[in-house]
Amino acid sequence: MGVPAAKLKSNKQLLAIKRPRRKLSLTPLLFILPAIIPLIIFWIYPMGKSLYISFTDWDYISPEYDFVGFSNYTDLLTDPGFYSVLVNTVVFSMGVVIPCVAGGLMLALLVSGNGKGMGIYRTLIFSPWVTPTVAVSIVWSWIYEPNVGLANWVLNLLQLPALGWTSSSTWAMPAVIIVSIWKGVGWAMIFYLNALKKVPVSLYEAASLDGASKWRQFLHITIPFISPTTLFLIVITSIDALQAYDQIQVLTQGGPAGSTRTMLYFYYQTAFEEFNMGKATATAILLVVITAAFSFFQFIFSKRWVHYQ
Amino acid sequence: MKKAPVLWVKHIVLIFFSLSMVFPFLWMVISALKTKDEIWQFPPTLWPNKPMWHHFADAWAMAPFNQYIFNSIFTASAIVLIQVVNSALIAYAVTQLRFKGRNLLFSIILITYMLPVAATYVPSYVILADFNLLDTYSGLILSNAASVFGIFLFRQAFLQVPKELIEAARVDGARHWTIIWKIIFPTTKATFITFSLISFVQNYNNYLWPTLITRSESKYLITTGLRQFFIQEGAYGMQWPLIMAASAFTVLPLLILFVFVQKWIISGISDQGLKG
Repeated sequence: MGVPAAKLKSNKQLLAIKRPRRKLSLTPLLFILPAIIPLIIFWIYPMGKSLYISFTDWDYISPEYDFVGFSNYTDLLTDPGFYSVLVNTVVFSMGVVIPCVAGGLMLALLVSGNGKGMGIYRTLIFSPWVTPTVAVSIVWSWIYEPNVGLANWVLNLLQLPALGWTSSSTWAMPAVIIVSIWKGVGWAMIFYLNALKKVPVSLYEAASLDGASKWRQFLHITIPFISPTTLFLIVITSIDALQAYDQIQVLTQGGPAGSTRTMLYFYYQTAFEEFNMGKATATAILLVVITAAFSFFQFIFSKRWVHYQ
Repeated sequence: MKKAPVLWVKHIVLIFFSLSMVFPFLWMVISALKTKDEIWQFPPTLWPNKPMWHHFADAWAMAPFNQYIFNSIFTASAIVLIQVVNSALIAYAVTQLRFKGRNLLFSIILITYMLPVAATYVPSYVILADFNLLDTYSGLILSNAASVFGIFLFRQAFLQVPKELIEAARVDGARHWTIIWKIIFPTTKATFITFSLISFVQNYNNYLWPTLITRSESKYLITTGLRQFFIQEGAYGMQWPLIMAASAFTVLPLLILFVFVQKWIISGISDQGLKG
């Protein structure tokens, strides 16, 4: 009696598992549609449409437009002004990403562990990340005030000459970069904190027994172990930096003399101030290409320096 | 004995960094309390001679800040609610259901995550204009209704739910809704909280897109409203104390929220498998 009953039960189980799968052809749609509909309307379709508009000379107001082939792209790529925009974008992104990732690692090493006060340090260092970029950029524009601002006062105390900050075409870019690092370094720190927790303690112990110095342990154990996090952070913070807009708009409006005009700012001005939609979307598509190429190369090169466990 | 000095150096370095991170916030409040004359003194005073606490009330009355903050909190909450539901549903589908094109669907979402959102602005603006949704709450909410980040976060979390639990429930004849509500939600509650908080912060802080699609003051989010206030006061007389006061009541609600929920945000970011 026992055997058939068990068989019956397992048959029932099989049916119970299989039946929904066979009948479910429409059910997955119910789960997918609520997210995929807005994703298509406001992400995927607009991406394709941007590509389409970038081959036209549409000016937003008139209903007619002409196809102009690649001329928006060739115009951009032969315009020396656009090259300075590209250079600004690269300088800004590198200027933000490298210190954020390196600084995040350094801070994570300092605040890792359960020592006294570490939780408070973490909270304080991370706090700028939660605040609106627009609001804190306004505060920073007061800090950068050339005559009585806090930044020049600090330089004064250190016996250094005062700087023009956001009103100087040399120092405006560093000023914007400092605000972006200040806001983003805590984010990198949090990711590294978690990565550091996962390095096996036994490795350090073995290395100490072999007489390896702390520095060598850091180079040969810590760095390889956290390399996947480093790759992730470089890609994610670069994508963010390539799209920086808020701090630039408040602090410098792309000036002085275009010294802080990055691709996204240029895109905004071309689209919503000049209404040159073809040129603007061509800029956006170039930004997409640059982002994709950058991520792609990072992943390719990462095979050389990222060690997955 | 050898360790003590090292520990001291470490704490001094950390105190220095922590102070530099929060000093801009302190400076914002200190500057808000200064008189118009005192704020232009050099070297600056570290604490105002006579704190002008009424600057906060003055600034609050100069622009409809209560309306702006209401708009921001209302739209951000609505967006969070929608994003939580639709991200969790699609994450359930890609982790627990089998259907044709599941991997393709996930690859498309993965690529979308890498693309700069700015590339969608022009066509999205046109779409909102066509549906008469510019300058409306619905436009603000609907255009932010999907979060690729959320889909990722929930997918990662749902993959961690023990398969045996779900299989056992299915054998007992549980429906999808029951599985989500009784098994997945309780085991991944932390992700729900973390994502809601991060998404709320991001939407409250969002600036460029909401500014593009709102025109009337009554629909401005706090970021747009503050920026507008900054331009007016900055241009007509450099009312820095009032500008700092307005920045303070934009920033402080988030800082206060953060103090209470920081555990969720910080541990959420690092523990939820957002490691790439």
